[in-house]
Amino acid sequence: MKIIEIKNLYKTYEDNSVPVHAVNGVDLSIEEGEFTAIVGPSGSGKTTLLNIVGGLDNATEGSVFIDGVDISKLSSRKMTDFRMHKIGFVFQAYNLIPVLTAKENVEFVMHLQGEKKAKRDARASELLKAVGLGTMMDRRPSKLSGGQQQRVAVARALASKPKFVLADEPTANLDSKSTENLLDIMEQLNKEEKITFIFSTHDQRVVNKARRVVMLEDGKIKSDLNKNQG
Amino acid sequence: MIWSIAWRNIWRNKLRSIIMIVAITLGLLAGVFSTSFMQGLVDARIESATKTELGHLQIHAPHFLENNNIVYTIQNSGELVSQIESLDSVKAVGRRLIAEPFIMAAHGTGGGKLIGVEPEQEKRVTDIWEHIIAGTYLEHESRIPPVVIGEKLAKKLRLKVGSRINVQMVDRRGNLSLKGYRISGIYRTTNTSYDESTLFVKYEDLQAQLGMEKNTAHEIVLLLENGDEAPAVKPQAEKLAGNNVVETWKELSPEMSLLTDSMDQYMYIFILIILLALCFGIINTMLMAVLERVKEIGMLMAVGMNKRKVFLMIILETVLLTVTGGIFGILTGAGITKIFETTPINLSMFAEGLESLGYASEVYTSVQNESLVTIAILVVITGIVSAIYPARKALKLNPAEATRTE
Repeated sequence: MKIIEIKNLYKTYEDNSVPVHAVNGVDLSIEEGEFTAIVGPSGSGKTTLLNIVGGLDNATEGSVFIDGVDISKLSSRKMTDFRMHKIGFVFQAYNLIPVLTAKENVEFVMHLQGEKKAKRDARASELLKAVGLGTMMDRRPSKLSGGQQQRVAVARALASKPKFVLADEPTANLDSKSTENLLDIMEQLNKEEKITFIFSTHDQRVVNKARRVVMLEDGKIKSDLNKNQG
Repeated sequence: MIWSIAWRNIWRNKLRSIIMIVAITLGLLAGVFSTSFMQGLVDARIESATKTELGHLQIHAPHFLENNNIVYTIQNSGELVSQIESLDSVKAVGRRLIAEPFIMAAHGTGGGKLIGVEPEQEKRVTDIWEHIIAGTYLEHESRIPPVVIGEKLAKKLRLKVGSRINVQMVDRRGNLSLKGYRISGIYRTTNTSYDESTLFVKYEDLQAQLGMEKNTAHEIVLLLENGDEAPAVKPQAEKLAGNNVVETWKELSPEMSLLTDSMDQYMYIFILIILLALCFGIINTMLMAVLERVKEIGMLMAVGMNKRKVFLMIILETVLLTVTGGIFGILTGAGITKIFETTPINLSMFAEGLESLGYASEVYTSVQNESLVTIAILVVITGIVSAIYPARKALKLNPAEATRTE
């Protein structure tokens, strides 16, 4: 079942009055349960594409359907609400709330969704255990390593039970061991919980783990390799 | 959870927040203390004006106050005093005769206002007898009638208790009348102008010198249980006073009225200036807090925190910061004020200047709970107003760009 369908997508902006085509006619579909890496050199349009799919940026032309909804038609308020319920985000720099504990960070999105405290509590604990941080729930981000913070970010992204998780270069700030650990956790969640992950990355280790690799160059899809299909 | 985040965010940069809280605390402490000091000064002046000089209400014959002409008298004043005494809220009533004589003493001459009072009644209406610093009030019995004068006049004419003065005035028939009085007491109030110009003699002595008809008076003074009731008691007194004119102390002394009415305004203007100055400091602090957290605010927006909640979070953070300083400021200000409610602030080094304007040189501060509540509300409003600019700055962030900010 398609959860993301991108049709004829363009994103053009001006840099010193020179038009730059960050996304230049992309057509792409993502099925539920995929573990997809979007790769490409710097400036190829990976992050712009992810931002448009995540509803953080608007396309110049074309449309993005998520779960059958054309998100370009949503108002800013509805888009915020849509992101909260349908999309999980993992950022390169973790972006946790430093004044909250790991558990409170995970609970935060559920709080925005209006979930009751008991339910939030149970799910946050469950997710932190799933990412191997069951004993560090009450630690603030400053007391966690980079890898542990990114695992909290993954747990936070999953807290709202999103349709898919967008991870923008999630391993860029991590060492090899933390990267491997994080990828194992995400792969496990993908296989066991059928959670759809879409990464933008430069990291070959992520590419190796991904079952589908979409390569972008100059805003266009250069190749689309699905390892399951060979 | 937003409350919790807002509160914890304040303490992310402890030094900066503490500096701001201390600034707010000191600003409000100064505001509360200064206003309660000014209020205390004015309260004391009003207390002195009503208890020592004016009473709460006065009755005069029409036209008497225009130039204190002794021919304008209140008739049947004894009966009127009795009737007014029976009114609710009236604590005491006294009648007076008033003349403006020429005073001659061994070492000089002077003018002033001579008030003829019935000592026992007058002691219930005004507290001049409590301000006697030498000699006695008018109880002294001797061949020469007694007079009580103020310390300033005594010094000016080099008089002391037992000294004799001659008082010359025009009597009711237009003839010059000269009479000798002996100083029985010297008083000192907090108003040296009053002390220099006001003398008290017995009602019957002045009545005799002026040749007034019996049972007449130039002035009837009312002291109420509560001075605030003066406007309410006035119509009742008017009904009994017939054609005579009844006026409240505020009407008799417009400058006092202006002082009390404008005191609250002065206080709030003063506090508003302090809060306005603090406002810029708070805006600066919160703007720094927002600009330092661009990435985090972008993330909050990305994961689904809508603009209303982002705005609310910044407002809450600012209000909590301001209110924390506000609470400390109001409490310490009120605490220090409480101390000086019972222990006076001694301004004796400025006594001459203050007392010449009618103000006491020992000031008891006075703070009203309603004023503190109003200040607290103003503090919250300051917090909200100060938060608007930083919060709007936060709302303008683009989550896609903000989350990638270095």
